[in-house]
Amino acid sequence: MEYLLHILVIAGIYIILTLSLNLIVGYTGLPALGHAAFFAVGAYISALLALNFGISPWIGMMLGASFAALTGIVIGASSLRLKGDYFALATFGFAFIIYSITKNWVSVTRGPMGLPGIPGFTVFGLALDSTFSYFILVFLFVLITIFIIRRIVDSPFGRVLKSIREDEIAAESLGKDTTKHKLLAFVIGAFFAGIAGSLYAHYITFIDPSSFTIMESILILLMVIFGGMGSIKGSILGATILVVFPELLRFLGMPGAIAAPTRQMIYGLVLIILMIKRPQGLLGRFRFG
Amino acid sequence: MLLQLFLNGIIAGSIYALIALGFTIIYRTVKFFHFAHGAVYAAGAYFAYTFAISLHLPFVLALFLSAVMTAVLGVGIDRFVYYPLRLRKAPNLAFLIASFGVFIFLQYLIAIIYGNRILILRTWPVKEGYKIFDAVITPTQLMILIVSILLMLFLWLFIQKTKLGKAMRAVSDDPLAASVVGINPDKIIIASFAIGSALAGVAGTLIALETNIGPTMGWPAILKGIIASVVGGGGSIPGSMFGGFLLGLAENLGMWKIPSAWKDTISFVILILFLLVRPRGFFGVKPEKEAV
Repeated sequence: MEYLLHILVIAGIYIILTLSLNLIVGYTGLPALGHAAFFAVGAYISALLALNFGISPWIGMMLGASFAALTGIVIGASSLRLKGDYFALATFGFAFIIYSITKNWVSVTRGPMGLPGIPGFTVFGLALDSTFSYFILVFLFVLITIFIIRRIVDSPFGRVLKSIREDEIAAESLGKDTTKHKLLAFVIGAFFAGIAGSLYAHYITFIDPSSFTIMESILILLMVIFGGMGSIKGSILGATILVVFPELLRFLGMPGAIAAPTRQMIYGLVLIILMIKRPQGLLGRFRFG
Repeated sequence: MLLQLFLNGIIAGSIYALIALGFTIIYRTVKFFHFAHGAVYAAGAYFAYTFAISLHLPFVLALFLSAVMTAVLGVGIDRFVYYPLRLRKAPNLAFLIASFGVFIFLQYLIAIIYGNRILILRTWPVKEGYKIFDAVITPTQLMILIVSILLMLFLWLFIQKTKLGKAMRAVSDDPLAASVVGINPDKIIIASFAIGSALAGVAGTLIALETNIGPTMGWPAILKGIIASVVGGGGSIPGSMFGGFLLGLAENLGMWKIPSAWKDTISFVILILFLLVRPRGFFGVKPEKEAV
């Protein structure tokens, strides 16, 4: 039971990450490849504030997410001048630089040794220390994220985002400031990834750079595409399946040395087959190509 | 000290340049980032290991066979993965994601077949290096340098002078016009994947002489290759070689002032600077105008 709840907490955190990336990739059509960077900023800022200054995780979460959004402004404003593959490459490059900072700025982040003993959340003086309480907490945040992302994509602002995805020049010709819209979508996505990072840090109580690699960014992108670009239900489904699936492999009794690479190989295969056979993913409405 | 860093930079640069060159030859014809090129490079090292160590073939033969096998692998990736996407006229993002898929698949396939342990290809003992003033270059490093420079010169002549090379340039400039004059773009794509991948195989084999080989060796390599290619000028052949040497030198000369943990970060900072200030790179002709 405890184990099942743990998997659900992790799935919830990935649902927030996937929804936030879906806003950028699925709804706005920006091929962003560095989402783990914002996840990292949220996690590290929130954890460092709690560890070094005893700041409450709640405030840390808001500051972490704001920092992630700020990072999003810097990365977005510079990368959005580029189109297509070059935009993807720029976000990728920035994400690598953030990853190197978490790994190499040892005096602050402790580098590869990671940050242990991150304090958990407290509610009215009561410490959330059971997996069940975190399940409730993460579940609430997933609901809030779904609610806000849904409001965004159904608003006039969201319609502009979708029109940018379909035909940017047409959107521009209708007088929409497409750069401003793209940047805003990027920054909102970064903010929610920061929230996910903070939840992750205070739940696991230990973070190290290995959770924020480029491969992590690709995994989040895989969740978005697998579930379906531009579909909220798809993101929930995609994240849940891809978090639960590796755990199932464990039950098949595969030895660890084979199970880990097999899981990755299947991820790779899923990406290829999706691109060839079903680029819109499981529930996506937006079929790119 | 500085001379040694310079030499190290040139040697690292020659490998980066080979990877970038192979990547660029493919990029010119297909116009998307073939990330799986990194896995082909790693496969090259493992093919060479299988031929030279497991099957006890002479090294030169193993090098040649590894190049042939990687060429087959590269063409296979194109036929089984990219070709169906091309038929569907899929956007660049689909190719990019599929190439990640192929990369991940191959890397972990290698890990399953050979295990995660580190392998050593070199069968001969390490010889004492030649001294140039206060810097040292080993015979292996010298060989890597000579082989890669010869290959680059050979490729350059091939692209400039032969009929196939000219056809490749034509398809790169304008596939439609090229097909009008009777060039089959599909054949050119196959040729590009074969040549580009063989170069990756050679690069993988050469680096295996200098360092150990592991399943994850392809990832940093393809990142450097792509950065070198972009910095040199997306699609420019001399540009990609220049970019490779520039990266190798920047990384190693950077070690003079910057702690070595930041080595990999240097090339990404260079990438970002170039993307922001001069996206067409050193030798690029015109700014990229690509739709997603």
